[in-house]
Amino acid sequence: MAAERIDTRLLEQLTEQSQDLNSDAVRITNEALGDFTEVARDEAAARRRWWQRGGTVAGAVGAAALMSSLRATAATSGDDIMALQTAASIENLAVSVYRTAAGLPFIKNGNKTIAAFIAKTTTQHQAHAEAFNSAATQAGGKGQTGPDPKYAAVVKQTLPSITTPADVVKLAITLEDVAAQTYTKNVGQVSSAELRKLFASVAPVEAQHRATLLAVQALLAGNTADLIAVPTDVAKLPAAAGSVGIPDTFYPTENASPITEGAVK
Amino acid sequence: MTTAREGWELPISEAQLTRLTRDMEDAHRSTLPAMRTGAVDLAEQTRTRSTPDDGAADPGRRRFLLGAGGLAAALTLAACSSNGKNTSASSTKGAGGVSASASSAGKYTGDLKVVALAVALENQAVGAYQATLAAAKAGKLGTVPPAVATFVSTAMAQHADHAKVWNTVLTRAGKPAITNVPLSNQAATTSALGKATSVGDVAELALQLEDQAAQTYLFATYNVTSPAGIETAATIAPVEAMHAAILHYVLGQYPVPDDFLPTDKAADPALLTI
Repeated sequence: MAAERIDTRLLEQLTEQSQDLNSDAVRITNEALGDFTEVARDEAAARRRWWQRGGTVAGAVGAAALMSSLRATAATSGDDIMALQTAASIENLAVSVYRTAAGLPFIKNGNKTIAAFIAKTTTQHQAHAEAFNSAATQAGGKGQTGPDPKYAAVVKQTLPSITTPADVVKLAITLEDVAAQTYTKNVGQVSSAELRKLFASVAPVEAQHRATLLAVQALLAGNTADLIAVPTDVAKLPAAAGSVGIPDTFYPTENASPITEGAVK
Repeated sequence: MTTAREGWELPISEAQLTRLTRDMEDAHRSTLPAMRTGAVDLAEQTRTRSTPDDGAADPGRRRFLLGAGGLAAALTLAACSSNGKNTSASSTKGAGGVSASASSAGKYTGDLKVVALAVALENQAVGAYQATLAAAKAGKLGTVPPAVATFVSTAMAQHADHAKVWNTVLTRAGKPAITNVPLSNQAATTSALGKATSVGDVAELALQLEDQAAQTYLFATYNVTSPAGIETAATIAPVEAMHAAILHYVLGQYPVPDDFLPTDKAADPALLTI
């Protein structure tokens, strides 16, 4: 896009507003992680705590049902830890790829909105990696600091052939999609409500990254890169820009990574 | 989308529309059967967990309230209790002009109340997008950009598919399908749509509905007990979030504002008027 289309002050304001909005979401997630920590650290203590917290309803519920519920809440299996580590590995790879992309001359000196998106998305993936690793370590596992091996190989093979913003966007779409699919599937695999909440709060964000990148990809392909701006000239957007970013009625999971893929060996 | 002298015209050719539709159907083909299977599973799970005559004794329903150990969630979902009095109480908070097809209180309890809420939200979104198309056709929104027109049509179709899946769950569980919008905030939504005079106005409103839907599904993932219900909610939340991303972009806002999807805009099941 042409550099003169960028209103950097507006971009900064929007970024600031975005960060304000984030703070609430981060706080909520941290609270969830805090809950998860408490539950995972000491199941017995957690059982007592929930028993007390649920005191007003406990009388109306069978003790067996309540205890069953508490066990389900507190349970953290080896599978959970592997799922968290694999998620962290996907995030680590995404961070690495976006950082590499940010340094490429045609990104660094190119469309400012794409560069800003890459910067912001990098920080979001960092936050996800921290959240997944925090949950993994709190559950007694190790944090994953390495990249997902399967997709690291894909990136290694692809990086040398990347010469345009469209190439970067294509690779990023692949990574965002596998992240979104993996976490969507993980929601139904993990054993506690806290972990379901964690995975379910991250998957939609990766899906939003993908939606944005799909729209950007279409604009690049249509030689309308000047419309990749915030705000954009909505009236000039091609019709396809309204649908290309939302291709799925239900988010697929057939390409989800298995929970073992990025687990710490 | 353009406003023609004697009415509204689709801004793309019929051939383009046919091709886009075919592509979309191809894309959906692989997911819809799985979702229908999931719906059958969910219906079976909710049916086996329900005790029609005495929900209070059913541990499955109670797990819906307690399983997450969910702080505010437990309080919020108290309205979802299998206790008929609670359900009735929430239904008296005002239907806002809604005429429910399934209007007797207490028909939807436990996980099925969340399913009912999901259908209502999906129907609300479909109705909002239909109203947007009607307003555009009547020239009430000014010139509607082509990208906005295709977004509205696409998102509306996806919401309709979501509603179908959730209604399948209800009917297979022996409950009435919900074909209208039994939500106490529907009157306000309809009113706001009626006052919209620009694409920006309807986009703002649509964004609120998409945020509400995405966050409600997030909330559902850790508050329902049925595995199929959890999985279905998990596969829809990202789609609603993607709708929201496009709407943010249309509104001149950053498309991915949150690091983690929050739940502060999730719909309270007490909004249900049935």
